[in-house]
Amino acid sequence: MADAPQNDGPDIGEQVRREVDRALQRNIKGLDFLLAGRQHVGTMEKEIIHRDGTAILYRYKPVEDEIFRVPLLIVSPPSNRGYIFDLAPDQSFVEYLLKRGYDVYNLDWNPPRRDEAKLAIEDYVDRFIPDSIERISKISGEQDVSLAGYCAGGTLAVIHSALYAGGPVKNILTFAAPLDFDHMPLFKAWGDREHFDVDYLVDAVGIVPPEIMLGAFDLARPANRPAGRVHLWTNMWNDEFVKSYRMFERWAAETLSVPGEYFRQLIKDLLWENRLARNTLEIGGRPVDLTKIDVPILNVVAQHDHVVAHAATQPLMTLTASTDREEIVAKGGHVSLVAGPAALKRLWPLIDEWLERRST
Amino acid sequence: MADKSKKPVTDPVAAWQGLVQQWEQEINAWSGKITETEQFSAMMGQATKYSLVAQQAFAEHMEKVLTSLNVPTKTQMEEMSERLSAIEEALERLRLSMADGPEAKSAPEPRRTRKPKNPS
Repeated sequence: MADAPQNDGPDIGEQVRREVDRALQRNIKGLDFLLAGRQHVGTMEKEIIHRDGTAILYRYKPVEDEIFRVPLLIVSPPSNRGYIFDLAPDQSFVEYLLKRGYDVYNLDWNPPRRDEAKLAIEDYVDRFIPDSIERISKISGEQDVSLAGYCAGGTLAVIHSALYAGGPVKNILTFAAPLDFDHMPLFKAWGDREHFDVDYLVDAVGIVPPEIMLGAFDLARPANRPAGRVHLWTNMWNDEFVKSYRMFERWAAETLSVPGEYFRQLIKDLLWENRLARNTLEIGGRPVDLTKIDVPILNVVAQHDHVVAHAATQPLMTLTASTDREEIVAKGGHVSLVAGPAALKRLWPLIDEWLERRST
Repeated sequence: MADKSKKPVTDPVAAWQGLVQQWEQEINAWSGKITETEQFSAMMGQATKYSLVAQQAFAEHMEKVLTSLNVPTKTQMEEMSERLSAIEEALERLRLSMADGPEAKSAPEPRRTRKPKNPS
């Protein structure tokens, strides 16, 4: 409930005037909202430097004359668009990093084509990520790279780092990356092996549509969508609120389909068998041994993340051999780690402080 | 965020927002409990399967209807989209190979000598 109102505020006349004005604004702007096209997203200049089917590698144009030696590659989750890292001015993680002097790349995803239905985790960690690192190395002239990943993008970054231990990855930075799927209760219930026939689903559709995943998220927080609409209406007079709402709504609506084999492996190997946390995962016949990871690690998690709980990220802090491991538990939810004005003020400066010392 | 100390005795909008937030939390907490049950897992498994079967049946029916109306079907549009995507990718490869070539002109790279502001 809201805090108890105080007595030293504006008088009742001023209050009435304000509310009448806002009611008028709600109606005028509410009409604009209904008639508006897609909300523009993305703020920083970028170019495509590599493309391979579903994979698309962007380089954001550096804005500083002097940048850190080690480039930073951010891996997007295969089910989401990477523009979440660069949503709008003053709430863009990419903008913040560029202004702090980093050379930033983003491995992003297009919806997979039907002929990509057989893409598996192996293709992501043993082809798309290494190819991207190779391109970055060619551009930067540097052998080292800091590898970051958000959500499932973080999972892929960690798997790659374990497979290529001793390779070019100099630092690992994860944002809400699920590794221990025994601590993903909603997904465990939704994809319960007794009741969820993943083979039937994948064999039937080939490419798994986003509605399958979105349904699970809606079940986790069924009140979020209607309550969000109510908050939107209440704040319709506030242009900044409406703009932010529309950007996040567009991002959620543009959830991507994923290749069926990737999905099947995710469900069977990670969700059912929890092979990553048990250190028994094999990719392309090679073991994914988390204990081989010995580079600096920063694990960033959100305090109120209803998608990836803190415990689900812990293998990175407990199984790896790194002696330089740090963790930040930030206020907020799953998305507020990588977008929004709050992260700009509170979280990203902490990340910068950690990364800059390891980027020379 | 508004300064709460400036609020008057009655603020119906704040009270309304508080009520909505409380409702949101209660419904989400209730849903959290439901999703932990075995029955929920069973129901979700069945629902996913049935909705898939229904979607496929509907899609097949629509394909027939659209074909009879001489209108492009979803499958045909997907094929078109994939061909466009392949052309786009090929063009991108050409552009990138030209950019890699000896005559390619690129903007000067920034110096990679930046030092941390907090080196310790």
